[in-house]
Amino acid sequence: MKKKQSFLKKLEPYGFLLPCLAVFAVFLFYPFAKTIYLSLFKTNKMGQAKIFVGAGNYLDLLKSDSFYNSLVVTVIFVIIVVFISMTLGLIGAVLCNRTFPGIRFFSTAYALPMAIASASAAMIFKIMLHPSVGIINKLLGLDINWVSDNRYALICVAVLTGWLNSGINFLYFSAGLSNIDDSIYERASVDGANAVQKFFRLTIPNLEPIIFYTLVVDIIQAFQSFGQVKILTQGGPGESTNLIVYSIYRDAFFNYRFGTAAAESIILFLIIMCLTLIMFKVEGKGKGGN
Amino acid sequence: MKKRLTAAVMAAMLAVTAFTGCGGNSGNVTEDTTAEDSAKSENSAAVAGDVDMNGTEITFWHAMGGVNGEAMEYLVDQFNKENEYGIKVVSEYQGSYDDALNKLKSAQLGNMGADLVQVYDIGTRFMIDSDWIIPIQDFMDKDDYKVNLEENIAAYYTVNNELYSMPFNSSTPILYYNADMFKAAGIDAAPATFNEIEKISDALKTKGGAKEVISLGIYGWFFEQFLCKQGLNYADNGNGRESAATAVEFDSNGGALQILEAWKKLYDEGIAPNVGRGGDAGLADFSSGKAAITLGSTASLKQILEDVNGKFEVGTAYFPATGDDDKGGVSIGGASLWALDNGDDKKAAATWEFIKFLVSAESQAYWNAQTGYFPVTTDAYNEEIFKNNIAEYPQFQTAIDQLHDSAPQYAGALLSVFSEARATVETEIENMLNGKQTPEEAVEKMASSINAAIEDYNLVNEE
Repeated sequence: MKKKQSFLKKLEPYGFLLPCLAVFAVFLFYPFAKTIYLSLFKTNKMGQAKIFVGAGNYLDLLKSDSFYNSLVVTVIFVIIVVFISMTLGLIGAVLCNRTFPGIRFFSTAYALPMAIASASAAMIFKIMLHPSVGIINKLLGLDINWVSDNRYALICVAVLTGWLNSGINFLYFSAGLSNIDDSIYERASVDGANAVQKFFRLTIPNLEPIIFYTLVVDIIQAFQSFGQVKILTQGGPGESTNLIVYSIYRDAFFNYRFGTAAAESIILFLIIMCLTLIMFKVEGKGKGGN
Repeated sequence: MKKRLTAAVMAAMLAVTAFTGCGGNSGNVTEDTTAEDSAKSENSAAVAGDVDMNGTEITFWHAMGGVNGEAMEYLVDQFNKENEYGIKVVSEYQGSYDDALNKLKSAQLGNMGADLVQVYDIGTRFMIDSDWIIPIQDFMDKDDYKVNLEENIAAYYTVNNELYSMPFNSSTPILYYNADMFKAAGIDAAPATFNEIEKISDALKTKGGAKEVISLGIYGWFFEQFLCKQGLNYADNGNGRESAATAVEFDSNGGALQILEAWKKLYDEGIAPNVGRGGDAGLADFSSGKAAITLGSTASLKQILEDVNGKFEVGTAYFPATGDDDKGGVSIGGASLWALDNGDDKKAAATWEFIKFLVSAESQAYWNAQTGYFPVTTDAYNEEIFKNNIAEYPQFQTAIDQLHDSAPQYAGALLSVFSEARATVETEIENMLNGKQTPEEAVEKMASSINAAIEDYNLVNEE
C-alpha cells in the first residue's frame, strides 16, 4: 500500500508536466518528426510524400551551388544584423540611462522598432529605397537602385532587420543597465576613471550575461528573418539575398517540393543547434574562469 | 550540462519548426483516389435545367485586390441581386494569384475549398492535370451555350479542342511611351523592335530630355512574350499543349539567346538599366517622367494614367520584338475561372450560372472600364459603357488591335512548373545583367534548371 502511494507520488510531477508536453508534442515534436520524415521523400504537387529517396534530398542540397550560396548569404546577413541590432540597442540604452527632459520620448523611439511588423517596415523601406521616387536617393543625391543591385541589396535588407531587432535589445540592455549599482561608478570616478574607461571596464562586464543572452536570441532571430526578404527583394537580384529561410519557403510553398524544403530545414536546425551549443559552452567556460 | 543541452536543442527546434511545421501539415493526408473518384457524380457538369438551385450558396475564390477587387465585389453583388434562381455567391479574396493557388492546393486535400476559383494563366496546366475540375466545355455543350469569346484569348485556355476554364480577366503587354519626349526628339513612330529603340535612344536623351530611355523591368512574362513575338516555342510537345511538356525548347531553338543578347546589349549601352524585378518594377520610372519608354500590362493603363496625372501625354504601341525579323504575336496573361468538382449538382449548376453572368457583355464591359482588362467577349464592344471608356482612354485601342493582330498559334506555353520557371528566368537574367554570366551561360542555366524541375514534377506526379 505504502509502496503504491510513493509510486503515485513519483508520477505526480509528470502529471503536472503533461499539459505543457501535450502542447509541445502538437506544435513542436510532431511537426519536427514529420519534417524529418518528409525530408527523406520526394513529394508530389500536393506536398504528399511520394517517392522514398533516403538521403537523396540532402545529397542534392550538398551538391547544389544555390544552397551553398544561401548559407554564405545567411551567415553574412546574420553577422551584419547582429552587429547592427546590438550596437544600436546598446548605444540607445546607454544614452537613455540617465534622466533628462524628454527621456520618455527617446526611450519610446528607441524601443519602437520592436512594435513594427517586419512586413510593414519592409513596405516603408521599399518606398524609401525606390531609385527614382525614394527619399534616400533624393536626400543623398544618388542614383542607386538599392534593392536591385547585388552590391547593396543584402546590406539594405540586413540594415532594416538590424534596426527592427534593435528595439528589443534596447529594452534588455536598459533593464541590464538599471541593475548596475551606481555606487561602483562613483567609486571609479573617485579613482579618476574617465567615461570611456567606465564604459568598457564597468558597464560592459556588468552587462555580460545580458549581452550573451541577447546575442543568442539575436542570432536565432536573424537566421529566421523572412518577411523583409519576401517583400523587398524576393531573394534577388540573382540569389544575392536568398536567405535560407526564404529558400525553404520558395521550395515548399512556391515550387511545392516539400522534401527539399524539409531537408533544408533540418540542416538549418543542425546549424542553429551547433551554434547554440557552442555559445553555451563558451559562456560556461567564461563563468568558470571567474 | 545536460540541462543546457536540452535547452539548446529545444531552442533550435523551436526556431526551425516555427516554419517547417506548416510544410508537414500538407503532407499528412494520404491520398485515397478511389474514394474520391467514386464520390464524383457521373454528370458533374449539371446545368440549370437539371436541378432546382433555389437557396444554393457557392463559394468563389478570387485574387483581385484594390480597384480590381472592388469591381469584382460589385459584380458579385449584382449577380446576387439579379439572378432568378436564388443563388447566393460568397466571394472570398485570397491574396495574390500565387497565394490563391497555394491555398487551393491545401484546401483540396480536405475537399473544403471553393466551387469557383480564379487561377492565373500559368496555373492552367496544373489545373488541367489536377482532376479537381469540371471543364467549362462540358457546361457549354450541355447547356448549348454560345458566347463570342475573343479568339486569341480562348485559344490560350483551349487544350485538345476543349475550353477548360472560362477566360475572365485577360491582358497583353504593350509599350508605353512619353509622347511629349518623342515629339521633342522629333520621333514620329513608336519603336517596334529593340534595334529601333537603340536607334532613337540618343535623340530621346539629348533632344527629348529623357534621363532613361527604357525602363524595362525584369519580368518572366516579358521573356515569354518575346518568344511569342519570334513565333517560337517555350517548351516541347507543342508548347506543352499537345501533352505535358518534358523539356524546354527555348534553348535549342535559339529564341532565348536572341532575347538575352538583345536585352544585354541595351543594358550595356545604358539604354535599359536594371530597374528591378517584377511586372510593376519599370512603371515608376516612367510615370515619374524619368524614362521615355516602358513595357507593361494593358491592365496597368489606368494606374499609369492616374500616376502620370496629365504631366505628359502617354502613348501606347505594340509590344516590341527583340529581333528585326520577328513575325509572331503576343499571348495573353491574366486569369480565368475554374469550376471545381465538388460532387454537388446544384452547386455545379449555380457556378455555371454565375460564370455566364461574369462573361456576359454587360459584365465584361463594366469590368473592362473599371480595370483595363480586355472584355473577353466581343459582344462587349457594343455596350455603351465600353464605347465611353474607349473614347476616354483611346490608348486602350492599341491593346485591342494588338490582340486582334496576333493569332491563336502564338497562344503561349503551358507548363506544370511555370511559376518556378518564370522565377528561374528572372533570376538568371538578373545574374546576366549584373555581369555574373554571359547570355549563353544564362540560357544554359535556365534550361537545365527548368528541365530538372519538369523532370522532377513529372516523376512524382505520374498517375
